[in-house]
Amino acid sequence: MKQVRWAALAALLIATTFGIVARAQRGGPPGPRTPQQAAPTDLTGYWVSLVTEDWRYRVVTPPKGDYTSVPLNPAGRKVADGWDPARDNAAGESCRAYGVGGVMRLPGRLHITWQDERTLKVETDYGSQTRLLSFTPPASAAPDWQGASLATWDRSEPVIGGGFFGPAPAAGGSLKVVTTGMKPGYLRKNGVPYSAGAVITEYFDRFNVPDSDPLLVVTTEIVDPTYLSQPFWTSTHFKRQADATGWNPTPCRAQ
Amino acid sequence: MPRAMTSARVRVAVLVAAGIALLSTSPTTQAPPAGSAPAPAFDISGYWTSPLHEDSMERGAGPEIADYGGFPISEAGRLFALSYDPSRLTLRHHQCDGYVMPYQLRALGNSRAWEERDPHTHTLVAIHWFSQTFEGKRTIWMDGRPHPPAYAAHTWMGFSTGRFVGNALEVRTTHLKQGWFRRNGLPESDQATTVEFFVRHGDHLIHTAVISDPVFLSEPLVRTTDFYRQPIDHQSWLFPCDDGEQILGRAPDDVPNYAFGQNPFVGEYSKKHQMPAIGQLGGVATMYPEIEARLRSARMGDGMEAARPTGPVVTSKAANPEPTDGDVHIWPLREKLYMLTGDGGNIVVQTGDEGAFVVDTGTGSLAARTIAAIRRLTDNPIQFIANTGFHSDRTGGNVALRAAGADPSLRGTFFSLQFRNAGSQATIIGHQNLQNRMSEAGMNSEGFPTDTYLEERRRTFHNGEAIEMMWQPNAITDGDSIVHFRRADVIVAGNVFTTTQYPFIDLAHGGSVAGEIRALNEILNRTVYQHQEEGGTIVVPGRGYVSDEHEVVEYRDMVVIVRDRIRALMKGGATLAQVKAARPTADYDARYGATTGRWTTDMFVEAVFRSLSDSQKQAK
Repeated sequence: MKQVRWAALAALLIATTFGIVARAQRGGPPGPRTPQQAAPTDLTGYWVSLVTEDWRYRVVTPPKGDYTSVPLNPAGRKVADGWDPARDNAAGESCRAYGVGGVMRLPGRLHITWQDERTLKVETDYGSQTRLLSFTPPASAAPDWQGASLATWDRSEPVIGGGFFGPAPAAGGSLKVVTTGMKPGYLRKNGVPYSAGAVITEYFDRFNVPDSDPLLVVTTEIVDPTYLSQPFWTSTHFKRQADATGWNPTPCRAQ
Repeated sequence: MPRAMTSARVRVAVLVAAGIALLSTSPTTQAPPAGSAPAPAFDISGYWTSPLHEDSMERGAGPEIADYGGFPISEAGRLFALSYDPSRLTLRHHQCDGYVMPYQLRALGNSRAWEERDPHTHTLVAIHWFSQTFEGKRTIWMDGRPHPPAYAAHTWMGFSTGRFVGNALEVRTTHLKQGWFRRNGLPESDQATTVEFFVRHGDHLIHTAVISDPVFLSEPLVRTTDFYRQPIDHQSWLFPCDDGEQILGRAPDDVPNYAFGQNPFVGEYSKKHQMPAIGQLGGVATMYPEIEARLRSARMGDGMEAARPTGPVVTSKAANPEPTDGDVHIWPLREKLYMLTGDGGNIVVQTGDEGAFVVDTGTGSLAARTIAAIRRLTDNPIQFIANTGFHSDRTGGNVALRAAGADPSLRGTFFSLQFRNAGSQATIIGHQNLQNRMSEAGMNSEGFPTDTYLEERRRTFHNGEAIEMMWQPNAITDGDSIVHFRRADVIVAGNVFTTTQYPFIDLAHGGSVAGEIRALNEILNRTVYQHQEEGGTIVVPGRGYVSDEHEVVEYRDMVVIVRDRIRALMKGGATLAQVKAARPTADYDARYGATTGRWTTDMFVEAVFRSLSDSQKQAK
């Protein structure tokens, strides 16, 4: 019996040793890397939105009640039909359309930097908002327009990996961001609502376009049973700029 | 415990350990060999549905008229769209127009994707994508094959090659047909190329298209489209379409269109949405954030001047589809028909048990290479040469090709008793007017047709196939023919139809705009598409890439629309100089225009003007 235990221990030792050697042979680092070091793609820099879709809903404030394309449920339509920008202004909530559920669709520029090695900072000039995408679960705080965003690197990996079952993870990857705990806001400037209970999942993908500027595509899924009858999907694209040209911070405007 | 049993357990434990170790080490040994294509980063297979949460009006019920905001269109793109009358869709040859990629991917409907693997190595050969709307089927080749040459046919889906880069599938597409960016007339030209990226996040597939179009765009257009994976078959995949008569008694040269500045609906969108024209009419500036501030301060009519030609004269931005490497290239058409290109004008060769039947002979500067190319296709002699026109790009190689050939059908006939050399050279066939024009021009008589016809058509059955040669009176000249190989269903159009320039209407030699339109319609009367206005009858242009009826109908539309504009200006009393100044070809110049060379835009406009003047005089 003792011999069996020793054999099992030896087996574990062999497996661990070979595994470490194998990982080292694959070029893996000896210790954990920070999210910044582990980034499979570089999202930093200045990005300008290319407004080629939903154009009329993004470059001007549409009239009240125009929520074409958005899968609102009856409660959502009721809120949208009652939109009153003057009331928002009076309540000091002129940034309702600049919250996490709507800000990426607005016509503006992004400035993405690493605030620290575990936090990406996304600043917008349109509405002068700041989003912090943290790779560490954010501490609970009072809701604000941008909420609490938990970031992870999303890679294409085999469900059962290694050995006979599958290859190493694919190269490259995306930034996945899940945001909760925000103040209720607007999907569009004309008061199309999302609630404080919404869960917003985003993927940030960078594409290096041959012979052209890189693109950033932010794919957004908003799940909000309070106001939406089904998840709301959009994909928003930005072109990389070499510098801050055109960066023009402006305040929130309710209309 | 017996010792033997304990030893067995030890052996099992060591085997398990070895297995675990192998599982850990295997990825190193499974690394792809250097230089091979990256393995797929994800599986695109499955049923996909786009949720229409963006641009749902445009993609569903349809876009509003003259809504071009956010599109980085050029002046040509805007003017083409404003000239577009949706009634054009009632024309027989437009009723079943397919959707061009990538517009297809934003269409309403279901999609299905699947992989094609090599049956022996299981490497990825291709990815196939089928869209229900207009039954658009595209193939993305993953095996590293090159794109076809520029003179190959264009299709709705184009020719696509792909590779995995990081976590994305990157796809390049060329050889697209002319189609839509938006189906309110906003055009995508046949010169457009795309780079696309597919990424998959769980059951969510995101498609990003970067469309470059030197004709109708000033900057690349970027579009992103979401798809969601469906677990079950949509069970709705077909989109049948057959054309029919929608408006009875319409004249064959009636193509609905609006003159520049005359589209009566251009203001509807602006009025309905309180949108100044500087936004509505699109352009590069409308896709950048600064447009928001401009729209705040603009007045409603601001920017409406862009509804008429205001920019500088432009010339063709199209790539030259003809090889310029000094060689003659062979391109298979169908059955035993081939296109030869490289000597300044397309040549078609039919081979078979009998001698070669050749249509046109190029400029002749590469005649020796043309003859060598034909020898590679057949051991039989060049027996017949048919000329579609008398100009030097049709007949330049006549003398050399005739001398290199022979017509065995003449030997041993009464004819050979009269002429000692009968059959010792190829027989050249052409309309009598063509021979007259060659003679008048002082061309080498050794290259003249030896077999002419006077009316309607010349027909023969050769190499097992019916061949018809049909006179097109007063088109480019008064001696043009088109040649129809009926079994292969290939029409050789000569200079009546090219993909490279405005029609060279040679008034001095009997050409006319009315005859040119008639000739293009004659081609369209004979074509039959295979599927959604694509494929079926092949049309070989005098110059340019292999085409089908879609390219011909777009070309016919262009000639008719330009004629209509010039005719309208003339009715208003405009002089030739005033007509030229009005730029009646402004939306087509980036595709066909020229300011230098043998056939300029001004020459074309003048030819149409004078042709219409002649018609008016004759009518009086």
